[in-house]
Amino acid sequence: MKVPKKFEDRYRDLSGDFDAFIESLSKFPSKSFRVNTIKASRDKVVRAFKEHKIEIHGLEWYEDAFTTEPKASLTIEHFLGQIYFQDLSSIIPPLLARSELSQAQRVLDMSAAPGSKTTQIAALMGNQGLLVANDIDYSRTKALKFNIEKSGALNTVITNFDARHIPNEKFDVIFADVPCSLEGTIQKNYKVLRSWSEKKIHRFSRLQRGIVEKGFELLVPGGVMIYSTCTFAPEENEEIINWLIEKHGCTIEKAEISGLDASSGITSWNGIEFSSELKKTLRIWPHKNNNMGGFFAAKVRK
Amino acid sequence: MNNEMEKKFVLEYLKARFGITEKYFEAFEFYSASKGRIFLGPKNLTVVDERNVSVGVLVARLGDNDNVKPTTNMLQMFGKFANRNIVKLTKENAVKYAEGSDIEVSDQEVSASADGYVIIAYNGDSLGCGLLKGGKIKNMLPKAKRMKIEFL
Repeated sequence: MKVPKKFEDRYRDLSGDFDAFIESLSKFPSKSFRVNTIKASRDKVVRAFKEHKIEIHGLEWYEDAFTTEPKASLTIEHFLGQIYFQDLSSIIPPLLARSELSQAQRVLDMSAAPGSKTTQIAALMGNQGLLVANDIDYSRTKALKFNIEKSGALNTVITNFDARHIPNEKFDVIFADVPCSLEGTIQKNYKVLRSWSEKKIHRFSRLQRGIVEKGFELLVPGGVMIYSTCTFAPEENEEIINWLIEKHGCTIEKAEISGLDASSGITSWNGIEFSSELKKTLRIWPHKNNNMGGFFAAKVRK
Repeated sequence: MNNEMEKKFVLEYLKARFGITEKYFEAFEFYSASKGRIFLGPKNLTVVDERNVSVGVLVARLGDNDNVKPTTNMLQMFGKFANRNIVKLTKENAVKYAEGSDIEVSDQEVSASADGYVIIAYNGDSLGCGLLKGGKIKNMLPKAKRMKIEFL
């Protein structure tokens, strides 16, 4: 795979093994689904796939998700919304707040469309309480609505605000899965590289600061925000959280999921030193972490 | 906004037609919107939540004379609590239903169901809604939800 020179300059050292990194970007990630526990149990789905003779492979880090074959999309379980096709990396953020979600009464998903994480969050809340699923793009709320309805996520409300201007109300848990430069999705969409530029990274970085600050403001004291991106760029990841620590003195908790093979966040980039707390953040590199899409996540407590 | 009268129509219909009682809806609230649409969503909405694009899940539509039409969403979720007007399809007919076709059903499949909206079921799952009339089922599955099923 041919990548822009500046892309190579940025990630030659940071990736640890640049050749393996570049090779991994041309490997399409495995097809995966999550059992929608609002509509079906894990056991029911496992039994059904055995009867269908379709291979599924469980994960060590999440009992309700499986990798599978493409033909799984032709099952009655997919038709009924009992399973939801979702990239493995995208399953991570809700699991980082799993214990908090089981108790939460008010949860906000700041950039919710198309609803993969939203419907997972609804399931982890036991379809109870209130889940506000916001997206700035009205046209994308249609896909969000479709997936919410198919999943039976009754505890949701869809809103259409710019995430930086969501009205001031308080939430126990907030998900800031922010717009980003999408470098972690190159495996699925090579075109990302064609439009890649450092200018774009810096533009997203400014937007992300606005969103993460708003999210922090909307948290109740003691509340948790999960910040995430699907990109490798430190300016959109560790640098954002470092800025939040310096400005608001928030606490960073270890972003970890038992059994998940993940890398730690970095503590310096381009000659800038970050807080050592950034070691507690989580990075997914496709060449290091089971060919999953590139991802970053941080767990912030107010 | 929530509307007690429309909620009453829906709950009475579900109980009379399918034997689904209101206890299954107690954790949620009914909301009415334009064009007779009824949504089932979370209770206790506040200012932010009320400036919404939509709430919860579309579960029914009220037509002329307050006739209730249950949605696929409603019956896929709550059909398991029904005890009547359930049409249990053969495998072949379940595939046709999922693709959006109208279905001619056998007496065995129709069983004791009366003409009107019925729950379409297969192998213990509620697939959605159909309109039974004279041994034929008009498919009420929205186009966006139709798909080819090869494994069931």
